[in-house]
Amino acid sequence: MSDENKYDKPLPEFRPETKPYWDACKKHELLLPKSKETNKFFFYPRAFSPGDDMSEVVWEKASGKAKVWTFSIHHMGPTKAYKSDGAYVVALVETEEGVKMMTNIINCDPKDVYIGMDVEVVFDDVTSEVTLPKFKPAGS
Amino acid sequence: MAGSIPSIKDTRELLKKHKIVIAGIGETEQGKIPNKSSFHFLSEASKLAIDDAGIKKTDVDGLVTAFSLVEHTFMHCTTFADYFGLNPKYFSSVAIGGATAVWMVAEAAMAIASGQAETVLCVRGDNTLSGISSSGMVALIREMCHAEFEYPYGLTTPGGYALAAQRYLHEYGATPEHLAAIAVTMRKHAALKENACYKEPLSIEDVLNSRIIAEPLHKYDCSIISDGGAAFIITTEEKAKALGIQKPLAYLWGMGQGYSHQYLTTLQDLNQIYNAIERSGKKAFDTAGVRPKDINLAYLYDCFTITVALELEGLGFVGKGEAGPFALEGRMEIGKDLPVNTNGGLLSQAHLGAMHHVVEATIQLRGEAGSRQVDNSEVALVHGNGGIVSAHSTVILGKEPLS
Repeated sequence: MSDENKYDKPLPEFRPETKPYWDACKKHELLLPKSKETNKFFFYPRAFSPGDDMSEVVWEKASGKAKVWTFSIHHMGPTKAYKSDGAYVVALVETEEGVKMMTNIINCDPKDVYIGMDVEVVFDDVTSEVTLPKFKPAGS
Repeated sequence: MAGSIPSIKDTRELLKKHKIVIAGIGETEQGKIPNKSSFHFLSEASKLAIDDAGIKKTDVDGLVTAFSLVEHTFMHCTTFADYFGLNPKYFSSVAIGGATAVWMVAEAAMAIASGQAETVLCVRGDNTLSGISSSGMVALIREMCHAEFEYPYGLTTPGGYALAAQRYLHEYGATPEHLAAIAVTMRKHAALKENACYKEPLSIEDVLNSRIIAEPLHKYDCSIISDGGAAFIITTEEKAKALGIQKPLAYLWGMGQGYSHQYLTTLQDLNQIYNAIERSGKKAFDTAGVRPKDINLAYLYDCFTITVALELEGLGFVGKGEAGPFALEGRMEIGKDLPVNTNGGLLSQAHLGAMHHVVEATIQLRGEAGSRQVDNSEVALVHGNGGIVSAHSTVILGKEPLS
């Protein structure tokens, strides 16, 4: 677990309707929202399905497996807190369930990341209150 | 007009009937200009456009503004009306990021066509470079990504465009050299524009050797930040004549918008972006009754080099994946196939959204562009893009009335 006092990067600005997602992350589980009516997954979590059905939301445990759809090694972060870090990988991954998630690819050299790379979820407890799901090379 | 559900055909008839025109333009000095507020630039640009048209301030009865990145206000248009001392019959603020300036033209046209105003001042100005605080800059970066599901991963605005660029390079086998060639062309054009921030020659090697911001984008793949203001005045041909306006008029031929997404997380694939650009362009092309081959001048939003590539392809000027070679062969330069951003764009002239794209298109159609004048400038297309290639707007302008 990261030292809470030292974590000064942006934390998620929560909306009440996303609580099941973040509560699950804290338990190191990836829950994805889906439409109750069409059974279709969507992301990011919202109060209603963004599909034409506008249906209620149900939650389902995801496999945690994904592929890198695109990525960018960031050499400059959005805030001062990133200045002491090296380059980091921001990626859009496509999960097995077919949704895209913005994330970081960690536990590997940024130079080894490629489009189509198999990755799996790993949970980063950045503070005692917030756990960010990130992804690492599959099987690493 | 046929039918009770309005269509593009009706818009075409409206534009033919009312002959909406750009009748005055103004651009202040651009660059690092401390000690001038956002509202100073707005006033200065407005005065320049009013003087350019040769009309009186009291002739202006409509006002369309945008927003300020420095001085936030919920009612930007009326805040400026108060500051500048205008009493508009019609007022509106357009806030769709980089799609704003292009849509200000359409917004003014619709206000005029519905009888709300006759002579509309469209103006934007900001002291973005000198006035923005570091917390303001952070807020701006945060605004472009999802505060809950994207920003905690350190996504930046250049990073968002870099994600699109990386995927583009992957799908079409394009290279960083291709993107660099776009920045090089913009710099060549800026060298010919008096009022441009960066004019020193730039080579492909310079771009590729510049600092990497977010791979694959280098420093020179990213637009500049500058202070300044720009304005244009929209009216009808008839009203322009009644006001005794002597300047050559630029006629509005068509307009359209296209929406793709707001957050990259919800993007299905690159085609979703292409389709939004195409829809925006198609409405404008169909209203104008022209096709990409008929366009003599293109003003494409160039917040990053990748944006120009996606727009060139989405609007149908070249096929998908062909923008890179097109740029590398110099075919976007003045005097070549399709001159793009003859003012140097956001990459080299100045960054005020697409305000200068609209102003420069008008200068070219008037034939007032001097050493960078494109021969036979008859029809210009201007395209704006807001968000992370999210929201698109297009207008087509002609030297002659729409017929």
